[in-house]
Amino acid sequence: MDQRFEGTPKAEIRQEGQKLIRGEVTNDWGSQLIWNVLRNGESVARVSARANDSLDFADKTPGKYEAVLQMFQYEGYEKDKDGKYTKSKFVDVSNKLNWMV
Amino acid sequence: MFKLGHEKIPVCHGITRRSFLEAGTAGMAGLTLQNMLALEAQGAVQPAKSEIRNCITIFLVGSPGHLDTWDMKPEAPAEIRGKFKPIDTNVPGIQICEHFPLMARMMDKVALIRSLHHKTGATHENGQRWMMTGHDFNPDSMKPHCGSVLSRVFGSRGMLPASMVLPAKIGNTGAGPLHGQSAAYLGSAHEPFFLNSDPARSDFKVSDLTPPVGQSDFRISARRNILKQLDEVQRQSESNTALGRDTAYARAFNLLTSPEAKQAFDLAQEPAKLRDRYGRNTLGQSCLMARRLIERGCRHVTVNHFETVFNISCWDMHADGGGLNNTYADYEQLLCPQFDWAFTALIEDLQQRGLLDDTVVCVLSEMGRTPNLNPRGGRDHHPSAWTNFMAGGPIRGGQAIGSTDKTGARPQNNPIEPPQILASIYHAMGIDLETTMMPGPGSRPIRLVEAEPIDQLFS
Repeated sequence: MDQRFEGTPKAEIRQEGQKLIRGEVTNDWGSQLIWNVLRNGESVARVSARANDSLDFADKTPGKYEAVLQMFQYEGYEKDKDGKYTKSKFVDVSNKLNWMV
Repeated sequence: MFKLGHEKIPVCHGITRRSFLEAGTAGMAGLTLQNMLALEAQGAVQPAKSEIRNCITIFLVGSPGHLDTWDMKPEAPAEIRGKFKPIDTNVPGIQICEHFPLMARMMDKVALIRSLHHKTGATHENGQRWMMTGHDFNPDSMKPHCGSVLSRVFGSRGMLPASMVLPAKIGNTGAGPLHGQSAAYLGSAHEPFFLNSDPARSDFKVSDLTPPVGQSDFRISARRNILKQLDEVQRQSESNTALGRDTAYARAFNLLTSPEAKQAFDLAQEPAKLRDRYGRNTLGQSCLMARRLIERGCRHVTVNHFETVFNISCWDMHADGGGLNNTYADYEQLLCPQFDWAFTALIEDLQQRGLLDDTVVCVLSEMGRTPNLNPRGGRDHHPSAWTNFMAGGPIRGGQAIGSTDKTGARPQNNPIEPPQILASIYHAMGIDLETTMMPGPGSRPIRLVEAEPIDQLFS
């Protein structure tokens, strides 16, 4: 009886100053939930979002920023020789926030 | 006379002609409730007693590494302390893994037992037998599951079986079929009811609550009438004592036809927000169902977090590159978050409903994992030390009982063995181990488990 994740988790995120704030996740799979913050398309922060509903993000390095909430989607335990999942992955579960510094 | 549960009754019955007949006539009913047909026909003891508590056991099949979860050694060398970092909890001096942030906030409700160990071989099955029954055993001397013992002592309440296992019984974990999940010599009347279905799935249903194809309610009723007539024949030839225990047919039919029993399994009746809070996964929804079952009269629910260790993401972190290729990634991204989310939801939910004081919650596993990381970055089996924990009921939270040495290899003080855990569960359930006996092999009265409760859990 391997786990099968159904439905799609959804959450709304918003920005207040340098604080990123999330709402509750619906259809929550209960797996790892993270803030993924990208600068110029490169991930610069992957921070657990389970315990708190906000993240202070004070990075002032110039660039184009994007933030999204992601959750781990389990599709199987298989991994490649480097230990990376071959089927399971993080998927976006929120709207995206964009800003410039 | 001796005491079974809260009732003094004569020493006891074995397999009777009646129980043999029950198996035969059950087949005529065309039911698939094999475990249920005999439920309580033999030896159901007592109806509900207000002082009797409930128990939910979450069994972490595969065994989490204690050094990566609830007994971290941040001062140890890297090859021992592993990848994760400890975080503070709401109890000063107690730290746990960073991937249990919600549990850290309710450590005041949890009693960690950090010096568990057993001395038998390092197989999953050895640990399962110890932790499910309080005994090690072989096929010639099977011992009953904790839920079966509680069924025997307390009997069931209402329509539901006294002991249930969600979502399924443990299957192949590598070294044989003896997992300690049967009623053994207590007989089929006290077998746990195995759900065998994943409550997280949208197509979830309890197969045993669905009449066989082609059997309408009318046909089921007709068969019930036939069985009643057969009962009447037997009634003329058997003792009142046996008849007093004749509840199997009624319970089987009730479970099959009762809206109340069906509702107990219907998670759609729970608010979506609460289902989300438990986590829309097998563990989370099983924990939610466990609460529903306890609320509706089930005495003991075991939630197996996984039924095998092969070819799935589970706690058995060998990192072997094959069918046992669980790694830190599985712990970080799936297992620890799922557990943290579901366990804390269960405790919160029980508390909000006023059920936590009457419900003992246990988190058990088979063993620990090796202090030294193996060459692939995993950890292998290590029964010489591990951590489990309890909460709820009369358990005093906010403490860590026992400790291990600086590498987590062995208990350093207050070593605890599995039978003490079972004795503590029974004690926490309100059972006096000195006076409460059960019929052992050959109906000889025996203690429920040959150990004393861990005093510190209750002081």
